[in-house]
Amino acid sequence: MKKLISLLVGIMVGGWVVSFGQVIEIEFNTLFHEADAKAMEDIVNLFQSLHPEIKVKLVQGRWAQYYAELRLSVIAGNPPQLGICHVNRLVEMVDYLTPLDASPVGNLLELGGIDPALFPEATWRAGQMNGHQYLIPLDTHAWGLWYNKDIFVAAGLDPDKPPQTYDEFVAACEAIKKAGYYAFHPAEDALPRKLRRAWEIFYYQMGGELFDPNFTRATFNNEKGLKALEFLVNIFNAYGWNVVGGNGYAQFTAGKLGMLFAGNWFYPTVKRSGVNFGYAPVPNLFGTPYTWGASHQLCIPLQPAETPLEVYLAAMKLARFITENAYLWTMTGGHIAANSKALEDPRLLESDYWKESGHILNDMIQRGLVRFPINHPRGSELEKAIETYIELAVVGQISPAEALSKAEVECNKILQSG
Amino acid sequence: MGAGRRAFPAPNALLMKRFLTRGLRREMEGIIFAFPYLLVWGTFVLWPLGYGVYLSLFDWHPIRGSKFVGFANYIALFQDVRFLNALSNSFRFAVIVVPLVLIVAFLFALLLWGWKGNRRLSSFAQAVFFFPYLLTVSVIAITWRWFLDPDFGLVTIALKYLRIQAPTFLTDPFWALPAIALATAWWLSGYRMVVFQAALSDIPQELFEAAILDGARLNQLLFHIILPLLKPAILFSLVLTTISAFRTFGQVLMMTEGGPGRATEVLALYVYWNAFEYFRIGRAAAAGVVMLFFTLLLTLLGMKILGLKSELY
Repeated sequence: MKKLISLLVGIMVGGWVVSFGQVIEIEFNTLFHEADAKAMEDIVNLFQSLHPEIKVKLVQGRWAQYYAELRLSVIAGNPPQLGICHVNRLVEMVDYLTPLDASPVGNLLELGGIDPALFPEATWRAGQMNGHQYLIPLDTHAWGLWYNKDIFVAAGLDPDKPPQTYDEFVAACEAIKKAGYYAFHPAEDALPRKLRRAWEIFYYQMGGELFDPNFTRATFNNEKGLKALEFLVNIFNAYGWNVVGGNGYAQFTAGKLGMLFAGNWFYPTVKRSGVNFGYAPVPNLFGTPYTWGASHQLCIPLQPAETPLEVYLAAMKLARFITENAYLWTMTGGHIAANSKALEDPRLLESDYWKESGHILNDMIQRGLVRFPINHPRGSELEKAIETYIELAVVGQISPAEALSKAEVECNKILQSG
Repeated sequence: MGAGRRAFPAPNALLMKRFLTRGLRREMEGIIFAFPYLLVWGTFVLWPLGYGVYLSLFDWHPIRGSKFVGFANYIALFQDVRFLNALSNSFRFAVIVVPLVLIVAFLFALLLWGWKGNRRLSSFAQAVFFFPYLLTVSVIAITWRWFLDPDFGLVTIALKYLRIQAPTFLTDPFWALPAIALATAWWLSGYRMVVFQAALSDIPQELFEAAILDGARLNQLLFHIILPLLKPAILFSLVLTTISAFRTFGQVLMMTEGGPGRATEVLALYVYWNAFEYFRIGRAAAAGVVMLFFTLLLTLLGMKILGLKSELY
């Protein structure tokens, strides 16, 4: 009897040890929330069902604190095995990330079977620094023009022909305003960073650049910058197309706003609202129809020295799976997948999202019309300096000229202080 | 002394030993009872505070190597226009929100005290007044952002009905900070109301009866009986609210992100941007220490002005 019990206990312990040894646990931290968080959760769950030997702990949250959390987790020696990095944040996060082509365990891109040819060249190269590849592209996301087809009809406009030139755009705005609606909101919910993005769209369309190539000085305090800012200010003031402080999201979903610049992430909200909406590229108002956007990319944070090869490979396996199944990411999260194979998936091409807006956004991306945020270690500070004064100009506290002048002084101070 | 015989200490020494042992034992008992709290307080308050002060003396970069810079972070702070603006905004906010919270809480408490004869009414009113305090700061901020929306806000619509042109509260540099103060007062008054309510019910009824018999009017009752006897409660609420005012962060971040311009960028938000957005930990820690200093200063000032004793005892 004793022998039997010992044998049973031995089998149980042995089984536990064997099964424990076979399951590799990794943590995947993201900065996603709302619809895109749900989309990522679905992809990870699918991965888990197909790869029970890898246990993924998915932690998702808002992006505002994400980068600080990622840094601190690396410093504490307890980083996630897979993370997300906006492409413009690479320059400030590079110390905290693993070079994928030169990791402590070898070339993870080769070991993980990641094929660079599947991604747009510019997006792939954007994940490189100091001669190493740190990031794997996941998606591109950007602002487009959402418009209310019913309001277009009420204003005597063709609901299937959204404006695409400056003259068409102004005429549409005036017609919508005359019909008793808010004509246009350029900046989602009008938070300071959104107003800055709207100004950047107008300024980039004119061919402007925010800083010189070496980031020694600000270059936006000029005629183009001023014209762009005056246009933005007039939307809320002289033109009367909207009101200062107005929330574009709320106005659009309440059926009170004709046209709105907003990101692809607005899609689930606008679908739920029941508004009869259309989607179009950002119109060509000032020369080249650029829009504001960014790119989420996958990264492996710097791991503790003793991290085994299996953990790295598990993380790469998940990363590859996510990019290959990014059709799900696009369909339900709204961001356009970077992996070209994912974009050919018939399930995506037949989806409502793709037919109603995704294909238009993809076209903007393929035509190179998406401008990413500035890539500088103090990029966040520089953007904050600019948006502070942009907002003050919009609310009428200072003139556009004064706003650009003050923003220039502050940006130059930041650049010179190193 | 022979073997096996025990030497007894002298009577005085024995008394001393017994006294010390008893006194020490009492001390030890006190320390043991307080130890769990001291452990938690030390771990979650004292240690982070000390480490924060330590970090403030460094240009902190654990990957590339931190550098001891002494008071350079503090000097840089006071040369930073943005920091000085945040400090000024924090003071302005405290000056608006502290009296607002205390006055609203006091009025609510007076009202409930007046209604104490009607249990149903006073219970219902107490629940309504206290309810906002149970909500999280995110809910408060989102709710008030909606209340003050220029298109759909309840406040905007109510003012419209009164034929008053509502300002765009959260995008007007003049109104933004008072608007956040109003939201904060709505949130915090409930708890202070309960403190005042308890203090009011402690006032002996005979004092009021005697005063009324002597012909005292309402304002005389208020200024000569109620307010003096409420001093400890007022002081407690003042200290708590001053600390809350200087620590204000969630409402500002979610309602205005520090805008318009930097009209509502308070110290806590400045610390947040520096710590989590720019990852300038040393600078953020220094700002945190300065924040602590000014909070302590204002609190001590309040205690000095109001005094520590109740008039009753």
